[in-house]
Amino acid sequence: MPTHPVIPAELPRQNVLSWLKARYFATTRDTVVTVIFAAFVAWILWSLIQWALLDATFAPNAGDVCREDLHGGACWSVVTTRWRIVLFGLYPFEEQWRSGLACAVMVLVAVLSCVPWFWQARRLAPLWVAGFATFYVLMRGGYFGLTEVTEQNWGGLSLTIFIFAGVSLLGMPLAIVFALLRRSNLPWIARTMALVIDVIRSLPMLSIMFTFAIVLPFVLPEGLTGDKLYRVIVGYALFFACYQAEIIRGGMQALPNGQEEAAKALGLSYWHRIGHVILPQAFRNALPPTINQFVITFKETSLVTIIGFFDVMASGRAASGTADWNFAVIEMYVFVGLIFFVFVFSLSRYGAYLERRLGVGQR
Amino acid sequence: MSEPAIHIAHMHKYYGAFHALKDINLDIAKGEKVVICGPSGSGKSTLIRCINRLEEHQKGDIAVMGTPLDDNVDNIDEIRREAGMVFQNFNLFPHMTVLENCTLAPVLARKIDRAEAEKTAMQYLERVKIPEQAHKYPGELSGGQQQRVAIARALCMAPEIMLFDEPTSALDPEMISEVLDVMVGLAEDGMTMVCVTHEMGFARRVADRVIFMADGQVIEQAPPDQFFDNPQNDRTKTFLSQIVGH
Repeated sequence: MPTHPVIPAELPRQNVLSWLKARYFATTRDTVVTVIFAAFVAWILWSLIQWALLDATFAPNAGDVCREDLHGGACWSVVTTRWRIVLFGLYPFEEQWRSGLACAVMVLVAVLSCVPWFWQARRLAPLWVAGFATFYVLMRGGYFGLTEVTEQNWGGLSLTIFIFAGVSLLGMPLAIVFALLRRSNLPWIARTMALVIDVIRSLPMLSIMFTFAIVLPFVLPEGLTGDKLYRVIVGYALFFACYQAEIIRGGMQALPNGQEEAAKALGLSYWHRIGHVILPQAFRNALPPTINQFVITFKETSLVTIIGFFDVMASGRAASGTADWNFAVIEMYVFVGLIFFVFVFSLSRYGAYLERRLGVGQR
Repeated sequence: MSEPAIHIAHMHKYYGAFHALKDINLDIAKGEKVVICGPSGSGKSTLIRCINRLEEHQKGDIAVMGTPLDDNVDNIDEIRREAGMVFQNFNLFPHMTVLENCTLAPVLARKIDRAEAEKTAMQYLERVKIPEQAHKYPGELSGGQQQRVAIARALCMAPEIMLFDEPTSALDPEMISEVLDVMVGLAEDGMTMVCVTHEMGFARRVADRVIFMADGQVIEQAPPDQFFDNPQNDRTKTFLSQIVGH
């Protein structure tokens, strides 16, 4: 019998250089294209680094230095000088520590809510009640010897976070209620709810905010009208709830009918079925669009500017909008953009963590 | 003669204009095992789904363990606690472990203490021969194992009656026997059972009565020997010749 040629068991392992060569420098044309694009990317990166870091002015109150700067680097001085306005808005200078503290409390409460240990109603509820109470006392004042600062002067990042938290906490339970009503067995409830959801979704957010901020006080009795800020939060929460209700409904519709049938056959009551079988699975299905909705909500808090509140975006414009600093608008927008990025990116990453933990798509 | 476990009298069911079940009269005694068979579309699944109100009947009376089946939610919940159901597609809750699947209803619907519910669940899981799977998720189990968990889950509610809606129709052939063995064991322990199935070997072995349905009506019912060896109705004969062959 002729002997067979010996075939090596494995291909020789590639080192980094040969991998690079195969991918980017295989042929002459590949090499040329790679070099050109690499040069282009390097030039852009270098210009960016030059502008943002090397030629930049970081010191506060260095507006003159920035203006005289021949290299045209970034004037971060506007950020280091005016950052208080971005974070706290029009809040009085001496009391800004309260605003900062309140903001930190809110963020802490939000982070704690994300920890699985807290995922029980009897732990979440006191946490949020305490969080909001602390926030209110710190921001509003009038208690414990703190000077009063009305809602009109709340602003900046604290305001944005407060609005976002309020809308989310009010809007999510409302969304669940709307979604459940929408799939009610009684046709007139289901149809009315569908109509309400569609009408509210069809209105621009701004018109809803205007209605709640300006029109509602004329319609409601004196005692029921809270401060403009809370009315706006309620209006926004309603809007959020309508969008989120449809997302939840989509999650519920993705469930096989057999799930609810099995729960019924076991003798579980309506609320037990909904709470233990339907909604947990519906939320798993609806997690990606839900995170989407939260991200959009966070960014759309900027719309309160129209009503006269200074959220973080408006505060940023106000900070760089004075005659001294209006050449440094880009730097301020980058700073505000970074703030948004931090929050929104954290939200997205948390969504990814939740999906892994809940086994979305696996069970 | 004590009251029947399931009493159905002059029951009609419509899907819109379609007359799905026509004048069903059925009394099933406690401890009796009834197998319902028939061609697809005959209404056999609809019939047992009417018993625990997964489908609603328009005319006639249904009573389970003496409780009338009407629009009263308490009655419906009571009946559902007394009649366990096993589905063709298992319908286990995928976001809970096997043990949690089994303890959910006893803890919530029968208000049984969790530790005790877990003990009972483990006993039933041992009875269906998969106690080691207790902490796995349904997605990690084979079809036969999932169906056995479904049976254990239904049994954990300590029902008087077990309803089976084609429990082996979605299983690979080699897994059918492990599920049928469990069902035979249940039958021998005296459970009242109503099974919709095509497994005629099982029917011969376990059933007290075999019911043949077609076009929403009960065509023939008889003890298994008489039903299989000496069917009276032509329709029954046709059906049997089509399925008993394999």
